[in-house]
Amino acid sequence: MAKRLKAAERRASILAVAKVLFADKGYHGVAVDEIASRLGVSPAVLYHHFPSKEALYGEVLDTLAAQRESYVDAALQSPDDFGSVLLRMTLVFASSVARDPDYLKMEMLSTLEGAQVARQFFESHWKSFSDYIEYSMRELSQQNAVSQINPRTAGLMFQGMVREALYAKCILHSSRYQSTHLPDLITQLVGLFLNAIQYKE
Amino acid sequence: MNTHQAELDTRGLNCPLPILRAKKSLSQLTAGEILQIRATDPGSVKDFEAFCKQTGNELLSSSEVGGEFIFLLKKQ
Repeated sequence: MAKRLKAAERRASILAVAKVLFADKGYHGVAVDEIASRLGVSPAVLYHHFPSKEALYGEVLDTLAAQRESYVDAALQSPDDFGSVLLRMTLVFASSVARDPDYLKMEMLSTLEGAQVARQFFESHWKSFSDYIEYSMRELSQQNAVSQINPRTAGLMFQGMVREALYAKCILHSSRYQSTHLPDLITQLVGLFLNAIQYKE
Repeated sequence: MNTHQAELDTRGLNCPLPILRAKKSLSQLTAGEILQIRATDPGSVKDFEAFCKQTGNELLSSSEVGGEFIFLLKKQ
């Protein structure tokens, strides 16, 4: 019989087990009953902490992301120009993914599984970057500090580039990039991106 | 009730834009003046707590009405 845990401990253990299962099987591949059975509790215990499987999935996504404080810290440090803030935020994101590659597995599976779950991923993580790039580029283009590229397309370029680097380093462990540390790779890619949009500080 | 000297509308924006705009708005105020910020990102509650902790500005109040968040920040 499962040991009785305090509410916070129980919640943390549910999130830990759910994360592993979601990363292995995707959102649709995991039933609430399976998570409960792994924990040795009844599904009612899970529903006591999370109203639905969707809510649980959302919480797993939130716990996988870097702490918001780290992003606030990255945004507030100096220098505070667009390129420097973008680089620091991307490094925070990359290091959180490197610490917990289950995040990437969940994202890959969510993309295959369907629009709703993948949208949740975008809203939880990539939207911050896309919005930041889009709004900043609109302002910067008025000052001629970036080229006249569609900011939304630029956001997509950035997202694709960073995600591919994370896949290569954290999931595939590609030998091609073995000699380059992840922060160096991210720094180079952000530099390429800033060159591509002809960013001038 | 607190009166404020400046307003910032960050509705529809996600981290880090609200905090970067708040930083800019606060830089135009003098010490003791109050900035009112409106936001829709639920994460902005934690963001502005962290913002004040890191910048030394004071979070006078944080409230939510119908999915919209209102913060009052006092410049240090």
